[in-house]
Amino acid sequence: MIRAEDLQKRVPMAGRELEILKGINLEIKSGETVAIVGASGSGKSTLLGLLAGLDEASSGSVVIGETDLAALDEDGRAAFRAENVGFVFQSFQLLPALTALENVMLPLELKGQQDARQQAEHFLARVELGQRMDHYPRQLSGGEQQRVAIARAFASRPEILFADEPTGNLDSRTGDHIIELLFQLNQEHGTTLVLVTHDLKLADRCQRCLQLDGGELVA
Amino acid sequence: MLARDWRGGELGILIAALVLAVAVVTGISAFTTRLQVALEQESHRFLAADLVLRGGRELPARWRAQAEESGLAFASTLSFPSMVFAGDEDMILASIKAVSEAYPLRGELTYSDEPFGPVLPATTGPGPGTVWLDSRLFALLDVAVGERVTIGEADFEVVAAARTEPDQSAGFYSLGPRVLMNYADIPATGVVQPGSRVEYRQLYAGAPDTLAGFRAWVEPQLASGQRLLDVNQGQPGIGRALERAEQFLLLAGSLAVVLAGVAIALAARRFSERHTDYVAIMKSLGAASGAINRLYGSSLMLLGALATLLGCAAGWALQALFFALFADQLPVMPGPAGIRPYAIGFATAFACLLCFAWPPLRRLGQASPLRVLRRDMPSENRRTLGDYLAGFVAVAGLMWWYSGDWKLTLALLLGLFITAVLGLGLALTLLRGGRLVGMSAGSIWRLALAGLQRRGTANALQVVIFAMAIMLLLVLVLVRTSLIREWQAQLPSDAPNHFMLNIAPEEVQDVEQMLRANAVPSEALYPMIRGRVMSVNGEELPSHEETDTERHQRGANFTWSDGIPVGNQLVAGQWWLPGTEADVVSLEEEFAQRLGVTVGDRIGLLIGAAPLEVTVTSVRKLDWQSFRPNFFMVFPPQVLKDFPATFMTSFHLDAAEKPFLNQFIRRFPTVTVVEMDVVVEQVRGIIDQVSAAVELVLAVILAAGSLVLVAGVRASVDTRMHESSVLRALGARRSLILGGLAIEFASMGLFAGILATVAAEFSVYVLQAWVLDMRYAPSPWLWPIGIGLGTVLICALGVYSCRGVVSSPPVAVLREL
Repeated sequence: MIRAEDLQKRVPMAGRELEILKGINLEIKSGETVAIVGASGSGKSTLLGLLAGLDEASSGSVVIGETDLAALDEDGRAAFRAENVGFVFQSFQLLPALTALENVMLPLELKGQQDARQQAEHFLARVELGQRMDHYPRQLSGGEQQRVAIARAFASRPEILFADEPTGNLDSRTGDHIIELLFQLNQEHGTTLVLVTHDLKLADRCQRCLQLDGGELVA
Repeated sequence: MLARDWRGGELGILIAALVLAVAVVTGISAFTTRLQVALEQESHRFLAADLVLRGGRELPARWRAQAEESGLAFASTLSFPSMVFAGDEDMILASIKAVSEAYPLRGELTYSDEPFGPVLPATTGPGPGTVWLDSRLFALLDVAVGERVTIGEADFEVVAAARTEPDQSAGFYSLGPRVLMNYADIPATGVVQPGSRVEYRQLYAGAPDTLAGFRAWVEPQLASGQRLLDVNQGQPGIGRALERAEQFLLLAGSLAVVLAGVAIALAARRFSERHTDYVAIMKSLGAASGAINRLYGSSLMLLGALATLLGCAAGWALQALFFALFADQLPVMPGPAGIRPYAIGFATAFACLLCFAWPPLRRLGQASPLRVLRRDMPSENRRTLGDYLAGFVAVAGLMWWYSGDWKLTLALLLGLFITAVLGLGLALTLLRGGRLVGMSAGSIWRLALAGLQRRGTANALQVVIFAMAIMLLLVLVLVRTSLIREWQAQLPSDAPNHFMLNIAPEEVQDVEQMLRANAVPSEALYPMIRGRVMSVNGEELPSHEETDTERHQRGANFTWSDGIPVGNQLVAGQWWLPGTEADVVSLEEEFAQRLGVTVGDRIGLLIGAAPLEVTVTSVRKLDWQSFRPNFFMVFPPQVLKDFPATFMTSFHLDAAEKPFLNQFIRRFPTVTVVEMDVVVEQVRGIIDQVSAAVELVLAVILAAGSLVLVAGVRASVDTRMHESSVLRALGARRSLILGGLAIEFASMGLFAGILATVAAEFSVYVLQAWVLDMRYAPSPWLWPIGIGLGTVLICALGVYSCRGVVSSPPVAVLREL
C-alpha cells in the first residue's frame, strides 16, 4: 500500500545542510495500523508529512498504491490527497471562521460531493457532536475540537489516515476517548492508519510500531 | 525586546510604515517648501525684481537710500513714449525704456546682434550713449546696427536689437516698438518734462525678511498715483496658478498624512495580533499589565525616535532626489527648506504612534494569560469607538496643521466620512446578508463568495480602508487633471502670441488677405475706439487725481459686436439681439465692479468730443491670460457706427516665421505689431514647471497609497494563508485556491472602487467649489478608472501576498502559522 525507498530529507540550517531523514525504507500494508515513535526531533512528523504527500523529499520515493508521489507536482499531490488521504493534526487545524459542520464539510466539498452536508452531519453525530454542529472551534473544548477533526478526517472516507500526535494537546482521559474513537472508526471503514505519537498507550493499539532515532529507522 | 522582535521580522512592517510615513510627509513638505521658494523666485522674473514701486512722477530718493542701507539691491527704470528719428525723413513713435546699470534684478534681459537674429543673454542694458532697438524698428527707420538715431536732443548709436525684458508684459499697453536706453542719458534727451506721460519704477530685490521690513516701512508713505507691485499684483494669472499649485501640494501633503496614519494603524494592529501569545507567556510568568504597558510604551517611544530619524533622512533624500531630477526645469536652485518639514515629520511620527499604534498595543496588556493554554482564545484586540475617534482626531489635526486650511481639511474629512458610512452600509447589506453554509469549496465562485461573507465585518473594514486610499488617490488625480487642464487651456500651443493694432478701416481687407496668404492663424479683427467713462447714472465721476478709490473717470478701449466675443462668458444680464439700435453696453466684470455699476445702470461716455449715454445690459467674465483681443466695453455695431475706429487682432506666429513681420511692417508701416511671444513662453514655462511639480508629488502620494493597500492586504494575509493551507492539505487544487482568493480580493476591490469613486466625486466637488475656486464638472471617465483600478490592484496585491500558500508545501505553511 505505502512504500518508501531510501527516503531522505535535508534542510538548509545556519549555512549548512541538516539531515533530518537519512534513507528510510518501509512498507505499510493496506488496512494496517502503524505507529511511528521516537524522541523529539527524531524526524517523526517529517516522515509523516512525506508519506502523506504534504512535503517533498530531498531524494528517494514514496509510492502509495500505484502512485509515485515524487512524480506528481503539488497540484497532482493535492488531487491525490483529496481522493485518498485524511488527516488529524496535533493542533487540530480547524478553520476558526467555520462552524464544526462547515469544517467537516470542507473535504467533501473539495471532492465535489453533493451530499456534503448530510455526510458531515452523520460523521459529527458519530463523534457525538450532533448537538454542537453550529458551534465555532473557539466555542469547543480541545477534545471536542479534535473530535471535529476526526469527523473531518473520516468524512471523505479516505483509504489512508495520517494522524500527527492526535492526543498530544489533550489530557489523558480525553486522549483515551479520542484514541477509542479513532480506532473504532478505523475499524468500521477499514482505513490504513499511520500515526505519529509519543503516547505508548496509543502506539500499543497499533499493529506495528516503527521507531525513529536521529532520522533513521531503528526498529 | 525590540532587538528580539527585529530578528523575528515582525517589527519590520511597523518600522517600514512609520519610516515611510515620516519620509513621505517630510519629503513632500521639504519639497513643496523649496518648490514654493523656487517658483516664487521664478515668478519674480515677471517683475524683474522682488518688489516694484511705480509712479507717474519721480519717486522719492529716500526710499532708495533706505533700501540700500538695509542691504536690498536696487535698479530704476523710466518708460515713456517719444518720437525716434533716423536720418532726415524717417521717424516713428516708440515706447522708450531707460534702465539703470543694475537692471534687471531678477530674470533675463536678451538682445540680438541683428534684427530677429539669434537671441543672446545680456548682463546689463545698453551703455551710455547707445540704444537697443526693437527688431521691427530697424525696417521702419531704415537703420542698421552701428548707425545713429535721435531721441529728443540726443544722438545714440544703435548697438543691438532689443529682444526681451523680464517685465515686458507689464508694458503691454505701452504701444509702439521698444527702444532701450541707459537711465543716465535721460537728462541729455530733454524729453522728460514735468507733466510728461511717464512711468517711473523703482525695483528692489533681496532677502524676504529685509523686503518685508522695507515694504512695511514704505507702504504707508505711498501717495496717490504711487503703487507697490509684488508677484501677485504684477501677474494675477501667474499668482493664481501659483496659489492653486501651493494648495494642491498642501492637499497632497495632507493626503500623505492620512495615508500614513492608516498604514501605521494597520501595521500596528497586525503587530499586536502577533504579539498576543508573547504577552500571554509573559503574563503567565508573572508580568503585570502595567509592566507590559510600560514595556510596549517605551518600545514604541524608541521605535518612534528611530523611525523619525530614519524617516527624516529618507525624506531629505527624497526631496534631494526630486530636485536632482528637476534641476533642468528650475530657474534657480532654492536653499534648504529649514527645520519645519522635519518638525512636521517628528510630529507626524509621534501623533501616528500615539493615536494609531498605541491603542492596539495598549490592549496587549489586557491579553489573557490563559492563551498560553488555549491558543484559540479570542484576543482582546477589538477596536473600540475610542480608537476610531482618536484616529479621526489625529488625522484631522495633522491635516489642518499641515495645510493650514480648514476648508481643505473639511472637504477631505467629509470624503473619508462618506467612504466609511457607505462602507459600513455595504457590510450590513451585501456581505452579511444570507450567509451560505459551508466553505463552498467545490467551486471557485462559491468559495470566494463564502469567504467574503464569512469575513463580512473584517472585509467591510478592509474595503473601507482600500476605498479611502483609492479615494484619496482619485481626488489627487482629479484635482491635478483639472488644474493642469485649466492651466493649459489658458495657453494652448497655438495661442495668439502677437497683437496687431491701429489697422485703418481701409486696410482691414488687405491685412486679412496678407495673413491668409501667409497661412498665419489669427483671431477676428475687432474694431477699437478709444473713449472715456465720465459719469454713472447722471453723476459725474471724480478724476483720477481727485480720488484714491478705483471709482473715477477712466479711459478704455471700446469695440462693437453683434455676438458675444469668443472666450467671453455672460455672468449677468442678457446679450442684445443682432441689429439692435438701442444705446446699450456690455461691461467686463471687474471693470463694472471698479465703477460700481451693474445691469440697468446708465453710463455717460466721451468719445473724442462727442458725449454718449448707454445702459448696461450685461456683464461678462473673460480671461485676460488668453492673449486674445479683450475689451472692457462692447457695444452693438449700430451704436458706434458713426465714430472713427481702427482695428486690432491677435495671431500666432512661430519663431521660424518671424521674418514675415519684416515684410508686413514694410507693407503696413502704420500698423503696430506687439510681440508677446516671449511673454507667452514665460507664462507657459511657469505653468510647465508647476505642472511637473504637481505630477511629481502625485507620484509620491501614489507610492504612499500603494503602501496602504499593501498594508491592508497584509493585515488579512495570516487568516487567509491559514485557511488556504488547510484547504491545500485537504486536497484543494492550486487553481481553486488562487481563483477563490483572486475573486474574493477582486470583489473587495470592486466595492472599494465604487465607494472611492462616489466619495472622490463628492470631495472634488467640495474642494473645487470651496477651496480651489474652480468650476466643478463631473468626471464620467473616473468611474471606469476608479472601479477598474480598485479591482485589478487589490486583486493583484492580494493574490501576490498569498502566493506563498501555493508555492510552498502545505506542511511548511501550517508549521509557520
